[in-house]
Amino acid sequence: MGRFGLLPLLVLPAVAVNLLTFLWPMLNLAGLSFREGMPGGGIGTDFTMATWRDLLADEFYLEILLRSVGVSLTITGFALLAGYPLAFFVHRSDARWRNLLVVACISPLLISAVVRTYGWLVILGDRGFAPSLLRGIGIDPPRLVFNMTGVIIGLVEILMPYMILSLLAGFGKLNQTLEEAAASLGAPPLTVFWRIVLPLTLPGILLGCLLTFVLTISSFITPKLLGGGRVLLLATEIYDNAIVTLNWPLAAALSLIALGVFGAAMVVYGRIARAAERAIA
Amino acid sequence: MTISRRHLTQGTLGGLLAMPFIRPAFAQERTITLAAYGGIFQENYQAVVVDPFMRAHPGIKVTYFAMPNSAQTLGTIRAQKAAPQLDVAMFDITIGKAATDEGLLDPLTPAEFPVLADLAPSAFAPGVNSVGVTFDSLSLLYSPETVKPAPTSWRVLWDPAYSGKIAITAAPDIVGIGMTLVANRLFGGTDYKDFSRGVQALADLSPHVLSWDPKPDAYTFITNGTAQLGVGWNARGQLYSRQSAGKLGAALPEEGSLFQINTLGLVKGAPQSEAAKAFIAYALSPVAQAAFAERMFYAPVNTKAQVSAEALSATAASPERMGKMLAVDWLEVAKFRNQLNEQWRRRILTRS
Repeated sequence: MGRFGLLPLLVLPAVAVNLLTFLWPMLNLAGLSFREGMPGGGIGTDFTMATWRDLLADEFYLEILLRSVGVSLTITGFALLAGYPLAFFVHRSDARWRNLLVVACISPLLISAVVRTYGWLVILGDRGFAPSLLRGIGIDPPRLVFNMTGVIIGLVEILMPYMILSLLAGFGKLNQTLEEAAASLGAPPLTVFWRIVLPLTLPGILLGCLLTFVLTISSFITPKLLGGGRVLLLATEIYDNAIVTLNWPLAAALSLIALGVFGAAMVVYGRIARAAERAIA
Repeated sequence: MTISRRHLTQGTLGGLLAMPFIRPAFAQERTITLAAYGGIFQENYQAVVVDPFMRAHPGIKVTYFAMPNSAQTLGTIRAQKAAPQLDVAMFDITIGKAATDEGLLDPLTPAEFPVLADLAPSAFAPGVNSVGVTFDSLSLLYSPETVKPAPTSWRVLWDPAYSGKIAITAAPDIVGIGMTLVANRLFGGTDYKDFSRGVQALADLSPHVLSWDPKPDAYTFITNGTAQLGVGWNARGQLYSRQSAGKLGAALPEEGSLFQINTLGLVKGAPQSEAAKAFIAYALSPVAQAAFAERMFYAPVNTKAQVSAEALSATAASPERMGKMLAVDWLEVAKFRNQLNEQWRRRILTRS
């Protein structure tokens, strides 16, 4: 048993479950991407590179990949900008209220994303609250829904609770005495934030960004409902190919690309997190 | 071992509990499973075709398995190829062709189905084992409250007055595919296989379209005031317009439209093949065909079906409209469907 005692034995069930429910389907998916998709949804039986060759040679899918990553980064950025002050306020609020505020921040998760998306359809729609408000203050409202704007607004709101939770989890190192010390040495508030608060909360920021990014790039219901069929992303393409046109090999290949994006996000996260830790230490 | 009172009680109770499951086996009741469209289609098909069939055949129970679209029905049959659970499946004719090519459907022979002789020739397609059961056509949906006078031409979609008020379901949905072919003829195309003019016309329309993916559908978008114009299926459009109290209208434009064919297929290796055949024969019979046309304005495939003039005038099957219909061979469309879908994604949807 060596140094770890019974530990490997205890991990075994979890490893077995993961192998069976994650790795095995993934391998199947990989296998499927080397078949040929026939018109009408048939799947060829011979090994072929055709699906991958067409996919990689087609600029359309490169565009979709870049658009998906770009949109996800934008949404992550907005979720951070909107979530950070909230999380900070909750963290600094009186202990009596803090739990209540945390619950209030994450309570949107109690309602399904589909329902919240429909809510946004009502709010952003032509005769909804947001355009009426804009008209009221004399601004001709741009189209807020059934396009990229709608998708970004909807996803930022839907994913904010995850961002806030991650930020709160990472705020543990924050210590008000450090800020007071900096201020007493003559640092203006902005410098205190930039030099003290931000570096100390960086682990939470990174975790929140990773989580939000991964959730954005894999969400397809909200982009489908709020995008009006115009916002073509990696996840919506996978859905359409798997469910509507029944081109399973192409859907499998696109899924593996999405998996690759997740892997890349993890690597980037790991690098930045390590660099940040070294910088703080 | 001795049988105690406790054992006896347990046995009796167990038997009683199991009764509901034992009874059907004794009664020799056969259950067939029909996979067809859900929602309002299911509601009406169940009422005027499935229920009367069960009353006429007390030994057969039909379970209606609702499907959101033809492609998913095909996916289900394909997944169950080794051990089919479905007996009868309804899908559009191109999916019927794909299912036949994959060996998922048994042929329906005139010997077993005398009713086939009464069906319109367009109910059949070479190399397709499923047989037409309803005809439907594309129609122009509008909001009678805001679109005045009632539109008579597809061209109203390109009227700048309705910019940002249009809802159409894009390709790969068959509404989007069909609309491309209608627009192609409208803008001077002479052969639907060369659909470039249709693609160009819809690309020009794209910035004025509110949503290419109305959820749950275009009918709802117009009924609740989100959109004012749209494209949908005539049967549903006619039915909803009668239920919507003036919120939705369905027009059959003067330039004509195109037919779409829903077919019924007998699943190969179906668990209850004989009962399934009885159901298909009934669904194609003049009685069932007329009942469904009266109820939901699907044009009948059975030429002997007696449909009232009123119901017929709400379908594209009236004699004066038939001549204007764009003759489309859906099996030809299936060949270029992927290519058309790519054009949609590259040239229409991404343009705004």
